[in-house]
Amino acid sequence: MLKLNVLELEKSEYTGGKSSLCPGCGHDQISNNIIQAAWENGIHPEKIAKMSGIGCSSKTPAYFLGKSHGFNTVHGRMPSVTTGANVVNKSLSFLAVSGDGDTASIGIGQFVHAIRRNLDMVYIVENNGVYGLTKGQYSATVEKGSKKKKGVANQQAPIDLCAMAINLGCSFVARSFSGSKKQLTALIRAAMSHRGMAFIDVISPCVTFANNDESYKSYNYVKANDEVLHILDYIPHFSPIEEVEVPEGEYQEVSLFDGSTLRLETLAADHDYTDAVSALSAIHQSEKAERHVTGLLYYDDNVPTATDTLGLSETPLVELTEDLLRPSPDSLEKVNSGFRS
Amino acid sequence: MRVLGTKRAMEKIVNDFVVNVATANGTGSQSSNLIILHSMFEMGVPVSGKNLFPSNISGLPTWFIIRASDRGYQAPGDGTNIQILMNKDTWIKDLEGLEPGTIVVYNEDVKMPVERDDCVLLGMPMTKMARKINPKLGRLIANMYYVGAVAHLLGVEEDAIEKAVKAQFKGKEKAVELNIQAISEGREYANENWDFDCQFSVESRDKDPDTFLIEGNEAIALGSIYGGISMLSWYPITPSSSLAESVINWLPELRSDGDGGSTCAVIQAEDELAAAGMVLGAGWAGGRGMTCTSGPGISLMSEFIGLFYFSEVPGVIWDVNRVGPSTGLPTRTQQGDLSMLYEASHGDTQHIVLIPGTVDECFEFGWRVFDYAERFQTMVFGFNDLDLGMNRWKTSGFTYPDSPMDRGKVVRSQEEMDSMPEYGRYRDVDGDGIAYRTLPGSGLDPILYRGTGHDEDGIYSEDPQVYHDAMARLKRKIDGARDHLPAPVIREEEKKDLGVIFYGSMENTIVEIDDMLEESGLSVSTCRVRALPLHSGVEDFVRRHDRTIVLEINRDGQLFGIIRKEFPAELIPKIHSVSYSDGMPPRARVYSDMILEVLEGL
Repeated sequence: MLKLNVLELEKSEYTGGKSSLCPGCGHDQISNNIIQAAWENGIHPEKIAKMSGIGCSSKTPAYFLGKSHGFNTVHGRMPSVTTGANVVNKSLSFLAVSGDGDTASIGIGQFVHAIRRNLDMVYIVENNGVYGLTKGQYSATVEKGSKKKKGVANQQAPIDLCAMAINLGCSFVARSFSGSKKQLTALIRAAMSHRGMAFIDVISPCVTFANNDESYKSYNYVKANDEVLHILDYIPHFSPIEEVEVPEGEYQEVSLFDGSTLRLETLAADHDYTDAVSALSAIHQSEKAERHVTGLLYYDDNVPTATDTLGLSETPLVELTEDLLRPSPDSLEKVNSGFRS
Repeated sequence: MRVLGTKRAMEKIVNDFVVNVATANGTGSQSSNLIILHSMFEMGVPVSGKNLFPSNISGLPTWFIIRASDRGYQAPGDGTNIQILMNKDTWIKDLEGLEPGTIVVYNEDVKMPVERDDCVLLGMPMTKMARKINPKLGRLIANMYYVGAVAHLLGVEEDAIEKAVKAQFKGKEKAVELNIQAISEGREYANENWDFDCQFSVESRDKDPDTFLIEGNEAIALGSIYGGISMLSWYPITPSSSLAESVINWLPELRSDGDGGSTCAVIQAEDELAAAGMVLGAGWAGGRGMTCTSGPGISLMSEFIGLFYFSEVPGVIWDVNRVGPSTGLPTRTQQGDLSMLYEASHGDTQHIVLIPGTVDECFEFGWRVFDYAERFQTMVFGFNDLDLGMNRWKTSGFTYPDSPMDRGKVVRSQEEMDSMPEYGRYRDVDGDGIAYRTLPGSGLDPILYRGTGHDEDGIYSEDPQVYHDAMARLKRKIDGARDHLPAPVIREEEKKDLGVIFYGSMENTIVEIDDMLEESGLSVSTCRVRALPLHSGVEDFVRRHDRTIVLEINRDGQLFGIIRKEFPAELIPKIHSVSYSDGMPPRARVYSDMILEVLEGL
């Protein structure tokens, strides 16, 4: 018998088309984790809106959640399209996928402002440090000294998207690795349970251009240098005991907006996910050690979302009928006579 | 030096003059100018005002032109009858440029030479007098003294002035009192010290109690609110910011859901690219998204505009045209963006453009534009310019929309979907080029929208035939819009000598141009284009006339270029371009002379 989720849907209800990415691409693993997370969380596929920009990663919404509407927009501008859709229909769950070129270079402005507005969305960057579709140029997130398969080592300082997001007051910031199935699925599930901007930077090796050992984002390098902050367990609100392995030793629980919980079994005792300074310190120390820190870096459940601050009608604007969208004839008479007096 | 005018007996010229006020930006003179304008308007005098302002917060020169005309002419006019001199920096040049006989009212306290013996020179110590009333606000209040001077010279009624002052400083009683005092003192001073009988005067006309003056941008803002706008995204840029700010001002009164929630979201975007992206997202999700900008913003939005066109998402972008390219003259007017709008973005595109010519049409197209966008599932431009957008024009009041909202072809339920066996997001089942769409959240036939090639079902495709057919359908779709869009406004003579095709804010000058041309014996019909792609009525108009001029406020004749490309070859030899742009609102004489010159050369 096929396994069903809380909505009694099979996992196949959450899958998408066949991937056209290179065999072994980290992005495909992330797509699988997205499918797994959405299915396990029991989200109605039609209530999800898949958003992306341009690039290898941004093609992936074709490969998951085939029953969800989506928009593969233009390069670096996915956040603005998401913003427009979000403010007119806040009942949708926005799941966005972008790349390091799409977000850290051409789209850095929109990334920054989406965070400032605390747009209610899951924003996943599939970060491999190179531009794949244009044949392997370095992106802005590649570490100084890192080297791809061909050409010289990168000489410029990287942009750390997690550090940037924390500085901007992002309400949920995490980093993971496409090869860490359990950690990544738990983080995506938690991100889906969060209300506000949930940003996950996922290191995702590019098997074609940068999976050599001198590349800091290669599979082997990340595997050997993954500084895991904590072991994560996601406990869904609809099934509090399911899937829980009570960890031995210390743990912390993060209560999420929809009533679910993210349980952190603390490995790095000095990390405090509620403290931006602590989170930034973890990022910068691991960067100094040429390692990758992964886990829930920062969380703040007290940031109003974009739709909160706009003072909108309770009903999503797309559901409003003409009598609410078009003021009455009397009101226009009042406007006219106001000008006349 | 103060030179007194001499008393002369002359025939009175009633309601036909131009007053030019030269001040510096940021000195509060705008209030004075609007009081002059509105007080005449109160008396029923047909009057129009043009604000020629610099791209600057404070200090640079600004001119305000007030024209009264019983014939209804609204252009700035070709000369100045009364010149007000307040600004030291432009003093000499302003004075030099005047025709002999011009009446010059000047602020004596500026201490600049007034050497024009051939003009009527009337000085007043405006700053000194103002300081006596209020030492702190002297510089601002000095401007009210020229209001008094003008009121005295032209015979503007005191009641009308008082009403205009009260409207200008609504609710600020102290300000009303202070300014009325200054105006009265100015009037008294002129009466006591100037031995001059002004030949120009205003005379009350029966004022239609329904009329008022309003900026085009505010009319569009109100129109969009009555058009059910559900999201406004915008990035500040002159001369479109006042459109967005008007929407913001009116929303609380007009678009509250009754529980304190707004039925329209407003987002000040990080740039114009984001503003366009938000409109795309709103339209995709089923909302009515709009942004407003000017030429530089359109350039930045261009990539998204192509995506609107190709992915077929409704949205609205208003362009309030200023002088370009680049920063150009950001506070001056032009019709220089038209061809850019029509074919904005890369590859093959074509966009619907609505072109209002009056504030009434600003309101009407302000709501209608959403219906067109959703009906044709595309981005629709509204094309306005600084002159119509930021100056005040007359209306008798806005007319309530005469049709319910047209939400276009949207499949909203499973039953509807089931009744459409051939449904595909991009399949033309009705033969009009417009396919049906479903909205995110509905779960109905979801697709991944994209800018990449897609087949009739919305599935990724690079098949040559699929791409070709998709583009052919888009062409058919927009072509099919032609005769659904606002038809041209045609004023036709029996004798089909000459047809003049024009658009937008040129409406405010065309009557005067027409009169000038007819003085030379021509019989002139006019055709005001109100939308692109061109309505079939425009081609018919050309066919009916011996010769046609396309009249525009730009350098190259952009509409002429579109006509030349689209009209049958045999019509082209009888169509000629007259276009001129210097940043100023169109002056009738400039254009009528150019038209006559072209006709002579034929």
